[in-house]
Amino acid sequence: MLRKIPKWNLVLFLILVTEIIIFGLLNPRFWNIHVLLNSFNDFIGIAIIAFFVTFVIITGGIDISGGAIIGLTSVIVGILSQVAGVNIWAAVLLAVAAGGLCGLLNGVLIAYARVQAMVITLGGMLLYSGVALVLVGLSGASTYEGISGFSQGFINLANGKLFGIPHSVFIFLVLLVFAYLLLHRTRYGRYIYLTGINQNSAEYSGIDTRKIITSTYVLSGLSAGVAGVILTSYLGSARADFGAEYLMPILTAVVLGGTLITGGKGGVVGTALASIIIGFLKLGLQMGGIQTQYIGLATGLLLIISVAFLGVPDFKSNIKRLVTIKKDRGGKLNA
Amino acid sequence: MAPIKEVKSMSSLISMTKHREIRTILFLVLLFLIVGIVNPDFLAISNIENAVKNSLLYIVLAVGITFVLLTGEIDISVGGILGLSAAVSGMFLRDGGSVFLAILMAIVIGGVIGLINGLGVTKLRISSFIMTLGMLEITRVVQVIYTNGKWVENLPKTFKQLSQSSILGVNTLGIIVIAAVILIHFFLVNSRRGRYFAAIGDNQDGAVLIGIPVKRYKILAFVISGICAAVAGLIFASQIGFISTTAGAGIEMTVIAAAVLGGVSLSGGIGSVIGASIGAIIMSSINSALVFLKVPAFWNSAISGLLLIIIVVADVLIVRRANKKANKERLNARILNYQEGA
Repeated sequence: MLRKIPKWNLVLFLILVTEIIIFGLLNPRFWNIHVLLNSFNDFIGIAIIAFFVTFVIITGGIDISGGAIIGLTSVIVGILSQVAGVNIWAAVLLAVAAGGLCGLLNGVLIAYARVQAMVITLGGMLLYSGVALVLVGLSGASTYEGISGFSQGFINLANGKLFGIPHSVFIFLVLLVFAYLLLHRTRYGRYIYLTGINQNSAEYSGIDTRKIITSTYVLSGLSAGVAGVILTSYLGSARADFGAEYLMPILTAVVLGGTLITGGKGGVVGTALASIIIGFLKLGLQMGGIQTQYIGLATGLLLIISVAFLGVPDFKSNIKRLVTIKKDRGGKLNA
Repeated sequence: MAPIKEVKSMSSLISMTKHREIRTILFLVLLFLIVGIVNPDFLAISNIENAVKNSLLYIVLAVGITFVLLTGEIDISVGGILGLSAAVSGMFLRDGGSVFLAILMAIVIGGVIGLINGLGVTKLRISSFIMTLGMLEITRVVQVIYTNGKWVENLPKTFKQLSQSSILGVNTLGIIVIAAVILIHFFLVNSRRGRYFAAIGDNQDGAVLIGIPVKRYKILAFVISGICAAVAGLIFASQIGFISTTAGAGIEMTVIAAAVLGGVSLSGGIGSVIGASIGAIIMSSINSALVFLKVPAFWNSAISGLLLIIIVVADVLIVRRANKKANKERLNARILNYQEGA
C-alpha cells in the first residue's frame, strides 16, 4: 500500500506535518483547525493554477502568464457585472472563458507556430495585464480602488462556508480530484506524459502532440480564469493588478511538488501538497510575527533548495525513472 | 562535399542573423517615422537624444542578459540585483561615502550574486529560470531588510550629475555605453573567447568536446549579467535621484523582451549585443512614442506585449519559410547534379 505512493509525495507529506508541528509549538493558535482551513482562501488561487501549470510543465513547456490572466479575468468580471450590468454569473462564465481564450492563444502560438513557450507566455503576460489595464482605463474605474459593489451571492462564492468548512477548501479538493483523474487516470493524461518524455516518439505513435500541448495551455488559462473569479469574490473587488505576484509561488508549488522543469515527470498530488506547504509556511511566518515583505526570502530559498535537492542526483533519478516506467506499465508515472 | 555544405549553411546562418538585426533597425526607424508623421516633435534631435538617454538603463541590462541568453540560460534576477546594488551603494553615498567606493561596492554585489547564480546553475544543476527566479525574490527581501523598507533619498548632487554631464553637447554616459556596446560586440564576434559564449548555447555537448570550459564560461556569463545589472542600478540611482523599495520591479521581463525583439534567441547561440540594445531602445521608446501620439499611458503594457508576440511569431515564420526554401533548393540542386552525373 505504502509502496504505491510516490516517495517524494511522502517526503512532502512529512514536511507538511513537521511544519504544522513546529509552527504549532511556536504559536498554539496555529493548531486551530479553523485557522488552517481559512488560510486556504489565501493560496487557493496559487494552488488552482499550479495544478494545471503542472500539466504544461510535464509537456516540457512553461506558462508564466497565469498571474496576468488572474488580473484580466478579475477586471472582466468587475466591468461586465458592475459597469455593463450583465448578470453576475454570466459575467463569471464569460471571464473564465476569456481566461481559456488567453490560454488558447498561448497554446496555438507555442504548439503550431513553434515559438518558445517562455517567449510567448512572457509576451502574453505583458499583453493580458496590459489589456486588463486598458479595460480599467476605458471603463473609467479607479485603478487603485478597483471595482467593487458585488452582490452578496457572488461574495459568498469564496467567503461562504458549508458545514463550517470554507468553500475554498471544497473548490481546492474538487479541482484537485479533477486534475488528478485527468492526468493520472485517462488516456489524455498518458499522452501528456509521453509528449513530455519524447515528443517525436509521441508523434510517431499517432498522437497529435500539437493538440495535446495546446490543450494544456487552455486548461492552464481556464484555471487562471477560475482563480481570478475566486480572488475577486474573496476580496470583494476587481483590480487589474491581482495575481501580479503569483508567478513565483505558482512555479515554486509545481517544482517543489516534484515536477521536473524539463518535462516528462511529475504529478498534481505533489503540487497540491507543495502549495499547502507554501500556504501554511506563509501563515505560520505571519503568525510568528514576521512581516509579509520578508516572507519572499523563505519561499525563494525554498524554491532553490527544493530544486537543488531534487536536481543533484540527476543521473540517479533518470535511471530510476526508466526503471519505474518499465516496472509498472499502465500504472502511475509520478513515482 | 561535406565541408562545402557546412560552409554554405554557416554563411546562410550568418546572413540570417544579419538580416535579423537589419529588420530590428528597420522597425525602430519605422516606429520613429510613423510617430514623427503624426507628431513631428518626436523627431526633434533633443527628443531622440532623450530616447537614447532613457534607454541607457535598458541597454546595459540587455547587454548583460545577452551573455546569459547566448549560453542558452536565462537570468531573471537582474531587477533584484539592480534594486539591491542601487540601494546599498545609494545608502553608502547618502551617508557621505566616496563615489568611487560606491561604484565598486555595487559592482562587487552584482558580481557576487551573479557568481551564486552561476554556481547554482552549473554545480547544483538547478534550472537557470528557477535559480534566478528564487534569487530575484531573495534579493528583493534583502533590499527591504537592508533599507528597513524605506526609500533611499537625498543622494549627493555630485553623484546625480554623473548621468547629466555632457561632452560637446552629447550625454557622456550615453557615449560610454554606446562605445562599450560596440566593443563588446567585437569581442563576442571576433575574439575566440567571445565566440565561446555562442558556441556553448548553440551546441553544449559539441562545445565540451572541442575543449571549451563550458561551466566556467556559463558562470562568467552570469557574473557579467550581475555586474551589468549593478551598473544599471547605479545609472538608475543617478538618473532618478532616489531608490524606492520596488526599484526595477518587473524590469527583467522588459529586458528579456527587448533582447528577444533584438533577435537574441532564448534557446541560445543566436543573437548580438547590438541587436539587444536596439531592442532595448524600441522597448523604452514605445512609452514616449505613446505620449507623443497622445495615447493614454494605460495602453503601454498591452502594446508592448502585442508587439513582442507579433514580431517574434512573424520572425519565426519568416525564418522557417526561408529555411524550407533553402532546403528545397539544395534538394533540387542535388537531383540535378545526380542527373548530370548519370
